[in-house]
Amino acid sequence: MNRERAKEWSHADRRKSCGLESSRLGIEVRRPQRWDVSFGREMSEADVDRLLARPPFCHIDASRFPEATPLRGILRNDTRILRLKEGDIVVREGDWGQSAFFVLSGAVRIVISPPGLPAGMLGRREADRKGWFQSLAQLWRNSELPEVRDIAQFRSDGRVGVRQEGEDEARIFLEDVPTILEKYETRRLYAGQVKEGDLFGEIAALGRTERTATVFAEGETELLEIRWQGLRELRRRDDALRDHIDKVYRERSLAVQLRHTPLFAHLSDEAILNVAVQTVFETYGEYDWYGSFKEMVSEDAGTRLEREPLIADEGHYPNGVKVIRSGFARMSRQFGNGHRTVNYLGRGQVYGLQEAAHNWRTGQQAAWQYSLRAIGHVHMLCIPTAVIEEFVLPTLPADQMPALIAAPSPTEGAAGGYDTGIAPGMLEFLADRRFINGKATMLIDMDRCTRCDDCVRACAEAHDGSPRFIRHGARHGRFMVANACMHCADPVCMIGCPTGAIHRDRYRGQVVINDATCIGCSTCANNCPYHNIRMVEARDRNGQFILDEHTHWPIQKATKCDLCVDQLGGPACQRACPHDALKRVDMSDLQSLASWINR
Amino acid sequence: MTGVRLRRSVGLTAVGVLTVGAVALHNAGAVALYQISLATGALLFVMIVTATLLNVRKKAPFLPLGNTTDWLTFHMVVGLGTVVVYAIHTGGRWPDGILEFALAATYWSVIATGMAGWAFSRWLAPRLARRGENVLFERIGRFRAQLRAEAETLVLRAASEQGSTTIPDFYAAHLADFFDRPRHLVSHAVESDHPRHVLLGEVELLRRYLNAGERGVLDGLRELICLKDDLDYQYSGQAILKYWLFVHIPLTYALILLGLVHGITSGAFSGGLL
Repeated sequence: MNRERAKEWSHADRRKSCGLESSRLGIEVRRPQRWDVSFGREMSEADVDRLLARPPFCHIDASRFPEATPLRGILRNDTRILRLKEGDIVVREGDWGQSAFFVLSGAVRIVISPPGLPAGMLGRREADRKGWFQSLAQLWRNSELPEVRDIAQFRSDGRVGVRQEGEDEARIFLEDVPTILEKYETRRLYAGQVKEGDLFGEIAALGRTERTATVFAEGETELLEIRWQGLRELRRRDDALRDHIDKVYRERSLAVQLRHTPLFAHLSDEAILNVAVQTVFETYGEYDWYGSFKEMVSEDAGTRLEREPLIADEGHYPNGVKVIRSGFARMSRQFGNGHRTVNYLGRGQVYGLQEAAHNWRTGQQAAWQYSLRAIGHVHMLCIPTAVIEEFVLPTLPADQMPALIAAPSPTEGAAGGYDTGIAPGMLEFLADRRFINGKATMLIDMDRCTRCDDCVRACAEAHDGSPRFIRHGARHGRFMVANACMHCADPVCMIGCPTGAIHRDRYRGQVVINDATCIGCSTCANNCPYHNIRMVEARDRNGQFILDEHTHWPIQKATKCDLCVDQLGGPACQRACPHDALKRVDMSDLQSLASWINR
Repeated sequence: MTGVRLRRSVGLTAVGVLTVGAVALHNAGAVALYQISLATGALLFVMIVTATLLNVRKKAPFLPLGNTTDWLTFHMVVGLGTVVVYAIHTGGRWPDGILEFALAATYWSVIATGMAGWAFSRWLAPRLARRGENVLFERIGRFRAQLRAEAETLVLRAASEQGSTTIPDFYAAHLADFFDRPRHLVSHAVESDHPRHVLLGEVELLRRYLNAGERGVLDGLRELICLKDDLDYQYSGQAILKYWLFVHIPLTYALILLGLVHGITSGAFSGGLL
C-alpha cells in the first residue's frame, strides 16, 4: 500500500520541501558486501573442498583470482548444490537464464525433440483462447467479488507436481518420467561425461536469454548451480572455461544470430563463419540492474548517466561495429555540460556502422559520433573494423549503406541529424525510467484521456471482475506510462520464479502467470522494477478467503496484465478506449511510437 | 492519413451522404404521395436504437467487436444523422401535443448532452492533465481527508507551540469549510482562479500579524491550500467527465420509450404507409 501511495501521490515529497516534516537522521551501518547473502545458504566448507577436488575446478588456477573474490569464495557463495529426485525439473524451455549447472553425480535429460514438452506439463498455462460462447458467458459468469478462484485449480492436474523444499523454496517435477522418455526425444548428460561438457545453461545465464530446452533429473542427481555472477568471474579468470563457453556459443548460436541480423543477412555462409570467429563478446553493466534501479530513479540525470557504464565514447577511434545481443544501450551526444539522449538501442540493433562505412568509403578517420552507454545490463557482439571492411561493407546492399557523416547544422543541435521523431525529453524519460524495456507498454495520452475508466472496466471484465492494471503511473508531458505489465524484452520478473509459473507464452510472447502453479512467493513482484505485479489474496466463489491448510493464512497469487492472451480480440484496455487515448506500444519500434505520439 | 483524421473524414462523409440520401428519399416519397413521416419516424427510431449499441459494445469489451473509438465515431455519425432525419420527420415544426412535446424535448436533450459530453472530453481532458496531481477520482476523498488532517495538525501545533490562537481562529473562520469538502466546483468548471486568489489573499493579510514561528506554519497552510484547490479542480473536472453520462444515458432510454409510445400511437391512428 505504501509503495502504491508513493507512486500515485507526491504530496509527501512536496510537504517535505515545505518543511512540514522533520528530517530524519541517518543510521550508520556497514556497507553491504557482495557475499552478505550467499546463493546457497547450506554450502559448507566440506562441500567447497569436494568441488575443488574435482574437474573442472581442480584445473582452475586459484592464484589468478583477486583477493576480494577468491575461487574458494566464489564456490562458497555463488554456488549451491541441488539434490534432485526423479523427474525434478532443472530448467524449462523459455525460462530466463540466471545460472548454469554442473552435473556432480547422476544424470539429467535434455528434451531435444521440438517443440518440447507441453506447457501444462511444465506448470505453465496452456495456450487456449476462449471461444465466442465462453467470451460471451463472461457477461454473467464473471464474479462480483475480487480475486475469485476456482477451488479445483488448487488440486494437481497429475502431469506436474509441486514440492515444497524448505520454507520459501519449491520445486516442480514431472509425474510420469518413463512416458516422457518414451514419447519425447531426450539427450542424457551425466557426471564426468565430458571435461567441461557437463556444464549446461551457461549461454542463457551469461547472455540473459531464454533457455532453449527443458532439462530434468533422471533418478537421484546432484547438480552444482552457479549463479551468473560467479560464472562471470570464473569465465574471466579461467582461460579454458572462457574458451569453452565462447566456443559453445560460437558453434551453437552465433552464426544463426548473425544471420538474423539485417547487417549480415546478405553474407555467404563462409563469410558469416569468418565474422563469427573474429567476433568479440562484451558485457557491460549489472545483470541485476533492477535492484539498484529503484534508487537510481530518484537521482539526478547527471548521476544516473555517470552510473551507466560507458561502452563507446564520442570522439574516440571507432574500433568496430557493435551489435546488441541482449539488454539496452543509450546513444547520446555531448550537449552543454551533459549528454543528450538521441536514441536507445535494443536487441539486434547496431552501433558504429555509420562511422565504419564513412571511413571505408572516404579513407578518412571519423571518430564515434555518439557515446554509447549500457542501460542496466547489455551483452553485445563487437565485430572489429577490419572484419567489417573485409566481409560486410563490400557486399552491403545499397539501401543498407549508411549516409556519409556530415557536420551537424546548428539547427540539428545535439541530435546531430539523428531524428527518431520523438522529442528529446520524451526519449530521456523513456530511457531513464527504463520503459524502453517494454514490448507492450501502456501509454496513455492524458490530453485525450477523459478518466472514464472504460479501460479499467474492460480489463476487469476480461479477468473475472478484477482489473490487472492501475490507470496511474509516471508521466512526461501529456503522456503517462500506466502501471500495467509491459511484457518486457528483458523480463526480470521471470528470474527466480521457483515453479516457472511466470513465463513467456510460447506462441505469442506475452509474459503470463499460471495461476495454478503460482505459489505466492512474491519473487516476481519484488523483481519487477516497475511495480506492475500485484500480490492478491484468493477467494472462493462465496467470498471466503482460500487458506493455507498449514498456516491458515490466505493463499496469495501474483497477478498482472496478461495482454488478454486468452481473449478473442486482444488487449481489452486498448480496444475499450473511446478516445484513442490508450495504446500498447512496442518500445523497440520507435517509428510506430513516434507516429502515435505525433498523430 | 492517421487513424483520427481518417475516422473524422469517414464520419463527416457518412453524415453528408446520409443527409443527401434522407433528403432525396423524402422528396421522392413526397412526389409519390407516400406518407413519408411513418418511414422517417421508423428510420429515426432505428437510428436512435442503433446509436445505443455503443453502450452494448462497452458492456462486452472482451468480444472482438472492433475498437470503441470506431464505435464512438459511428455513434456520433448516427447521432448527428438523426438530426437530419428528425428535421425531415417533423418538417421543422415544434410539436404541440404533450407526448410529442416530451418526445421532442427529450430528443434535443439527448443531442445536447451528447454534444456537451463530446465537448467536455475535448476541452477538459487536457486541462486536467496540466493542473494538480492526476489522482484517481475514487481516491480524491481519501486524499482530501489527508490534507484536512495535515492542516488541522499544523493549526493545533501552532496553537500549542506559539501560544496564540490567531491561526486557529483564522482556520475556523476561513479554512475549516474549505478543507472539509469539495469547494468552488463551479469556479473550477469555468476555469476561474478567483476563489483561490481570495483565499490566498486572506492568508497574506494574516501574515503581518504573526511572529516568525507562526509564519512558518502559515507557509505550510498556504501550500496545503494550493494542493487542496488543485484537488478540487481535479474533482470538478473529473466529476463533469464522469457524470454527464448519467444524464445522457437515462435520457436516451427515456427517448426510446417515448419514441416507442409515439410510434405505436401514430401507427394506430394512421392509415398506413400509402
